[in-house]
Amino acid sequence: MNDVKVIRSIKPVYNKDLIMSRLGYDKYRTNLSAETIREIERLIKKTENIMDITAAYRISGITQIIPPQIILEDGTILSGQKLSELLKNSRQALIMGATGGTKVIELIERLQQEGKMSEAVVIDAAASEITDSALDFVMAMVEQYLRPKGMFLTKMRFSPGYGDFDILQQKEFYRLLNARDLGIMINEACLLIPEKSVFAIAGICHEQG
Amino acid sequence: MTKKEFKKLFQNRLILLDGGMGTLLQKAGMPAGVCPEKWAAINSELLKDTQRKYVEAGSDIIYAFTFGANPLKLSEYGIADETYALNKALAEIARDAAGKEVLVAGDISSCGSLLYPYGSVMFEEAVEGFKKQVKGLLDGGVDLFVIETMMDLQEARAALIAIKESCDLPVMVTMTFEGKRTLMGNNPLSVLVTLQSLGADAVGCNCSAGPAEMVEIIRKMKPYAKVPLIVKPNAGKPRLENGVTVYDMDAESFAAYTEELVGAGANALGGCCGTTPGYIRRVGEIAKSMKPVQAERKPYSLACSNRKTVEIHGTLPFAVIGERLNPSGKKFLKEALINGDMDVVSDLAREQVEAGATLLDVNAGVPGIDEKETLKDMVLEVCNSVAAPILIDTSNPEALEAALRIYPGRAVINSISGESVKIETLLPIAKKYGAMFVLLPVDDNGVPETAEKRIEIIKRVYLKAREMGFSKEDILVDGLVMTIASNPTAALETMKVISWCKKTFKINTVIGLSNVSFGLPAREGINSAFLAMAVANGLTSAILNPNNQQMMQCVKAADALVSRDKSALSYIDYYAEKNRRQDNTSEKAEKPQDTVLKCLYDAIIKGDADAAGEMAKHALISGKMPKEIIDKEMIPAIQKVGELYEQKQYFLPQLIRGAEAMEKAMAVISPELERDNEERIESKGTIVIATVKGDVHDIGKNILAMLLRNYGFDVIDLGKDVESKRIIDAAKANNADIIALSALMTTTMNQMPLVMADMKRENLNCHMMVGGAVVDRNFAESFGAYYSNDAYKAVKLADEIIKRNKNGG
Repeated sequence: MNDVKVIRSIKPVYNKDLIMSRLGYDKYRTNLSAETIREIERLIKKTENIMDITAAYRISGITQIIPPQIILEDGTILSGQKLSELLKNSRQALIMGATGGTKVIELIERLQQEGKMSEAVVIDAAASEITDSALDFVMAMVEQYLRPKGMFLTKMRFSPGYGDFDILQQKEFYRLLNARDLGIMINEACLLIPEKSVFAIAGICHEQG
Repeated sequence: MTKKEFKKLFQNRLILLDGGMGTLLQKAGMPAGVCPEKWAAINSELLKDTQRKYVEAGSDIIYAFTFGANPLKLSEYGIADETYALNKALAEIARDAAGKEVLVAGDISSCGSLLYPYGSVMFEEAVEGFKKQVKGLLDGGVDLFVIETMMDLQEARAALIAIKESCDLPVMVTMTFEGKRTLMGNNPLSVLVTLQSLGADAVGCNCSAGPAEMVEIIRKMKPYAKVPLIVKPNAGKPRLENGVTVYDMDAESFAAYTEELVGAGANALGGCCGTTPGYIRRVGEIAKSMKPVQAERKPYSLACSNRKTVEIHGTLPFAVIGERLNPSGKKFLKEALINGDMDVVSDLAREQVEAGATLLDVNAGVPGIDEKETLKDMVLEVCNSVAAPILIDTSNPEALEAALRIYPGRAVINSISGESVKIETLLPIAKKYGAMFVLLPVDDNGVPETAEKRIEIIKRVYLKAREMGFSKEDILVDGLVMTIASNPTAALETMKVISWCKKTFKINTVIGLSNVSFGLPAREGINSAFLAMAVANGLTSAILNPNNQQMMQCVKAADALVSRDKSALSYIDYYAEKNRRQDNTSEKAEKPQDTVLKCLYDAIIKGDADAAGEMAKHALISGKMPKEIIDKEMIPAIQKVGELYEQKQYFLPQLIRGAEAMEKAMAVISPELERDNEERIESKGTIVIATVKGDVHDIGKNILAMLLRNYGFDVIDLGKDVESKRIIDAAKANNADIIALSALMTTTMNQMPLVMADMKRENLNCHMMVGGAVVDRNFAESFGAYYSNDAYKAVKLADEIIKRNKNGG
């Protein structure tokens, strides 16, 4: 298993439409004044500026897949039917995580205390999307390194807590990524703190040629 | 090969590069997971044969197979100590394959890790690693170098500096773009300007994209390119079919883009992933009859960061250079720099850029600190925080070189004067790193008072700079502003210099604005007037405080007046919006009673909390009864907001803003209800709300609490991570009608049925409703709770539950 690599101060490219979608925006029905649009953009920019995004990743060999179980090279067992389907052609896995830091959470809380809930809700949605985009960044970067070796990533990635990929498996990711060093804590309910933190796994496929 | 010979190579002809190698070697038997370079060196005949195929296909330049032969990459295979030997051997193999007619480029790519501050590899560590590779390639007999498939401009700079400091061979640099930018956010123009200023002999793009996407990149670069442009596209997009990678373009469709790429400005063409000698041959056949486009190059004064380019020119909007990252006179900044507190630096950088600064002046001159290290830290912090390019403000040659070396863009040096020691020490540094510079018309005799003497110095320094290869575009002349408090003609002399620079010498100018009013009262007035006059005389940029509104208004007005802001569109756009908001507020205040109520209604609909508060006050002043205001205007308004949200004409922030406006108006009206002993607004019911134990997500719960209050419920909000006992106790104490619970995790939602069990055990006469991302109707109904997937629907559900309860349902 390779060492954990950490990337700091990431400025991921994120999709504003997805942020708007999180806020219930319907492009065919929702009416927004120019002022509202400007305000939303200002808050999204504010979120981007205040977030200090750190990501980490490591590449692990996959020893065996017996659906729904996936056994990594260090003996870690992950379980998920859909996950095992995703990784079926993969000899290795990219294990990754990202956190948006504490400042944005403090900002969201402060805005709520000040009665600025409408600002808080936009920043909350933007922070979630931007944190997730950090994983897009990690995948794009790793794929750049893999491509010359004839290797590719699966298009999709899975995070614990979605589908049948139990949230309890966050603990394995936490350990595998040394997530404490990224400033992430995990509680008994496997909740990641700060809240805008995410783990995920994608498969690495080898071209057979 | 010399740089001159390389340049000559591109005169009137297109150059053919090679294509993909990795896939060909895999097809020839290279197993997955090995070190490609090591395997290729061992299987040298196979490698040579493959490279020869490109020679036979017509390539003018082939790349040595040393893409990943960097010590950091090789360390992944435990063979970092073979860096020199491998590179030398692989260069020799390529040399052998190329013969005498074809050139060999030593191939350098990413070290596999990001550079600091993003990754753990320090800049100098990367440079040293690349130098090890360069040494092997040089001894292996390469003719030139190529730095390719770089996603980070800073890493490309490190490789380019490594080569420049090792030899004088030509260097081509190609970056890999994902869409319009590299992964690290570098745009094509920043890439071109930075690399060609730093000494790259050709610049371009390779990998990640097919030929169609690269046409646009080359098109963006061409007008500013002083060097040939290179493209090496992939054969379209890759996909995995039964474990085999297939690219979606064949040789014919790939080569069909040759004309378009050459038309866009490409001087050298090749291929990357998915391409084979057949692709290159076909491109060569089409390109044989074509000539490179001789585009008219725009002379430019372009400074850039790794993410943004700023052009400085008299026909463009005035370039504002933010002055606030200079510790002179700023105690808080001095202290921050002494303590190494870079948060202050990033805050100042952002504030200035948000206020309109297009570049930032960065100065670390604090007595007693290590200026070199502090300046480097500041430069990286600014680069990380904002996209604006910088002026590096120091006369310390060591600090200047260190900052320029680490800056991932093209900076402007502030400044180089006509003093002999400055010319001798600072001009070569500017040249080495391709920086622009501010020319300060001061010499060994001191500060000249007259414009004539300053002009002499300007000419002299310019001639020296020209001998070193600089052009007027690389220079901003400082008009040299002195205070009129000690010299009444100081401003006029500066104007003369600026005017001469604009009309006669045709060179850009800059001034440090605030010096003119030093020692005088009401400095802003003098500064603004001076700035406006200077712009009228042709000034192109100034170092000033962008957070000073008067100064920025002066800048915008001056741009409009001299037509640098065509038709004053930018000025109108900026100031008309501000005036409109002010007019709206004052207009409403004078409206008659009926209109005031309408305005209150509108303010809640539009979510304008300030206006809602104001209109509520006016409504009371006009004599309307508080309860009537609430019942007839405010409640219908908030209900309308809810309807618009349900219809998706409003999204969540608009729903909340409506609620915030309602709250603000209510805060004005409610005290009047009590004072007038009017019939109180009856609460619809009491709701205890909490996020369950173990869960700290609460924004959804907070939104619901706010809406419930605004829609007439009494809400007891217990917060987050709340134990069941506390919830039950609060429900009992407040005679709650409903307990509303939120959970966002599958590990915490199981608390909800436990709370329900406790409710039943305590015989609480109350209902439960639940929500949260992981909760659904089936789950809720399994333990007898109500469910809503949306805050507004939850309000309506609460209403329904309580009404049903009252009716005995």
